[in-house]
Amino acid sequence: MGAKGQSMDTKSLLALVVSLHPTVQRRANADRLAIVVPVDDLLEVMKTLRDHQELKFDLFVAHTAIDQIEANRFELVYILSSTMHGNNIYVTAYIGRENPVAPSMVALWPIAEWQEREAYDLLGLLYDNHPDLRRVFLEDDWIGFPLRKDYRDPYMLDLPK
Amino acid sequence: MGVALDKLPGIVERFPGGSVAITRLDQAINLARSNSLWPLMFGTKCCAIEMLMATGASHHDLSRFGAEVARASVRQADLMVIAGAIVKKMAPRMRLLYEQMAEPRYVIATGSCAISGGPFMYNSYTVVRGADEIIPVDVYVPGCPPRPEAFFWGLLTLQKMIREGETIRAPGIRKKPVLAALPEDVSIHDIRREIRSALVDENIIDIEKAAREKPWAQKVRAWIRRVSSH
Amino acid sequence: MSVQVRTLDDLLHAPLDADSELTTQEYLVNMGPQHPIAHGSLRVVLRLDGETVKHVIPVPGYVHRGVEKMCEHLTYRQIIPYTDRLDYLSAIMNNWAVAKTVEKAANIPTNERIDTIRTIMSELQRLQSHALWWGVTGMDLGAYTAFLYGFREREIIGEIFEETIGARLTMNYIQPGGLMYDIKPDFAQKVKNLLPYLKGCIEQYETLLSGNVIFQERLRNIGILDGKHAIALGCTGPVLRASGVPYDLRAVEPYGVYDKVNFNVVVGEVGDCWDRYYVRLEEMRESVRIVEQLIDNIPEGPHATIRYNEEIILPEGLHYGQVETARGVFGVFIASDGKNKCPIRLHFRSPNFNNLWIVTAIASGWRIADFISIQSSLDLVIPDIDR
Repeated sequence: MGAKGQSMDTKSLLALVVSLHPTVQRRANADRLAIVVPVDDLLEVMKTLRDHQELKFDLFVAHTAIDQIEANRFELVYILSSTMHGNNIYVTAYIGRENPVAPSMVALWPIAEWQEREAYDLLGLLYDNHPDLRRVFLEDDWIGFPLRKDYRDPYMLDLPK
Repeated sequence: MGVALDKLPGIVERFPGGSVAITRLDQAINLARSNSLWPLMFGTKCCAIEMLMATGASHHDLSRFGAEVARASVRQADLMVIAGAIVKKMAPRMRLLYEQMAEPRYVIATGSCAISGGPFMYNSYTVVRGADEIIPVDVYVPGCPPRPEAFFWGLLTLQKMIREGETIRAPGIRKKPVLAALPEDVSIHDIRREIRSALVDENIIDIEKAAREKPWAQKVRAWIRRVSSH
Repeated sequence: MSVQVRTLDDLLHAPLDADSELTTQEYLVNMGPQHPIAHGSLRVVLRLDGETVKHVIPVPGYVHRGVEKMCEHLTYRQIIPYTDRLDYLSAIMNNWAVAKTVEKAANIPTNERIDTIRTIMSELQRLQSHALWWGVTGMDLGAYTAFLYGFREREIIGEIFEETIGARLTMNYIQPGGLMYDIKPDFAQKVKNLLPYLKGCIEQYETLLSGNVIFQERLRNIGILDGKHAIALGCTGPVLRASGVPYDLRAVEPYGVYDKVNFNVVVGEVGDCWDRYYVRLEEMRESVRIVEQLIDNIPEGPHATIRYNEEIILPEGLHYGQVETARGVFGVFIASDGKNKCPIRLHFRSPNFNNLWIVTAIASGWRIADFISIQSSLDLVIPDIDR
């Protein structure tokens, strides 16, 4: 463990993932390998990424989402690292803004429980089969999800021009 | 100044050296109070490292000013140093901490966040813009974070205010707050004048009245009701 | 589909089990938000049976300032001072994370001198942070003397920062494409004079606290976390390395000039509180070694490659950069639309947020006093959890 450098370059990593899951596509415009996964296959792909012998993405570094309000969708972003092979990857998926339900990764990585709670708290994403989905930073009676682009708060001040 | 406290007031005693000290009980008590402030261990953010921990350690040594006895319980403390930003979730709790402190109680707000929200003033959905939205503040110490020396100056300002006789008034009555930093052309005499003018009656703020007007009051009362009903 | 949203009250009003054999009943105790062990405002609800901790419910958010929302209205240079105010004990390393991400995305070059000074400053800050942690841990476990010694070293290293940077805590030093200020001519000599002293201090720490029987009893075999669980729980930094996983970004993905210096990645064996304590002490020795190797030959050159008023616009897409701070992996995720000088979404992957939650996994079954040891050994900085 703790390999120095990466064991595979971006191209062969992508080829390996695509050979295992043909629905996976490459996401353009990213500083490392980024893949787009249909949200229905997300759990399966993530399981492969974690368990496959040559991938072994065991560190769930971060999970967040981008509110793409013009396209009326959220882009989920998972950042994974491998402590064994030294590889890094983004996994992204799109979910609609009206019913933002995504599969929960708690069964694969326990830390996902709290990172998903944070995404629920600030962006209002809902997670299927999450054991303890509740707000983490804000109070339970808070109205709205502040990191959404259409969030309005009467208390919040805009920077004067 | 030599003071024979057990004989006061009204009796003048000849000291062994022949000197005579005359004082009022008020002044003697205020002197004692100002030199034995017990701060509450209450820090929310970066300022706590500088204001409470670095000053409490040996390099800056808060005990020179008689204020090193940091207490973990509000009921034993009489000085609340607000070190860091106060957010909406913390606001009712801080109000509750303040109300649990016994009179006389003093508040020093240190750092931009506690004074006005500071760097978190704009575009933040949780930060309360100034601790004085929630509780009355006696002395402000600006800086982000202030140097420990600036905090000491704030503490000395508070001690001066106490010696000026502020505490003898009825509990719950506060003067308008004082800024601790000294601009270039301000002397201690100006501060003294400011304190004296602060003692004029129309400048006095009634905490209870002020609290009723604050939007927080409703929430705090509801919160306390909920806690006590459990 | 089974999406179920809960509230904190649901957890707090769950039925409390009565232990029929001992005729005791479980009860809830609030630690915080105002509590000396929290070193800030963290609330932890403990479900207790007698003095034994049954279940831990951390409730953060008492300093949640919404920095990520604010960053959507700030340029990349303006974001850097806000990273100081997350993990304020690793301010320089946090600055570096943003600078590194922006430099990589916008193709801003750096030079040898910048990288060397950044590395030296980061290691000095790591020493300062660990010294402070050592003192505070001693205080948490009842040794107030340790607090005074830990802060003595903090002030001495702080003087070097103050001379170069002008700040004691919130540094705002590392900028995209350079440093805020160049070092003073006598910087190298001052640091060189400091290093033997710091070595002596670390030895002093050992004699003051490490050998103490009571201190060892309170840390050894308490709160054991094995390597497999540590990775699954997403923890990083000394906490992960104490569990025997040699994952240190300085060695795994070298940045700055870490690939040109020799240092060991310190790992623990058991993964208990003692290992977490000792890994940090050993890391201080390694930090001194790194600074020793670099301080003699700081290359010449400018301290910034771009002007400070130059507008930075990142290309469209996802950008992520991470550094190893004193507490673990601090990452900055930036989503840019390629047109604005502000990000459309910025996310801080903070080490403390991920390290906090292991208390729910390892604290059950220990006494309240052991819980203090466990929380203290995690070295949490609360504003970094809440952001």
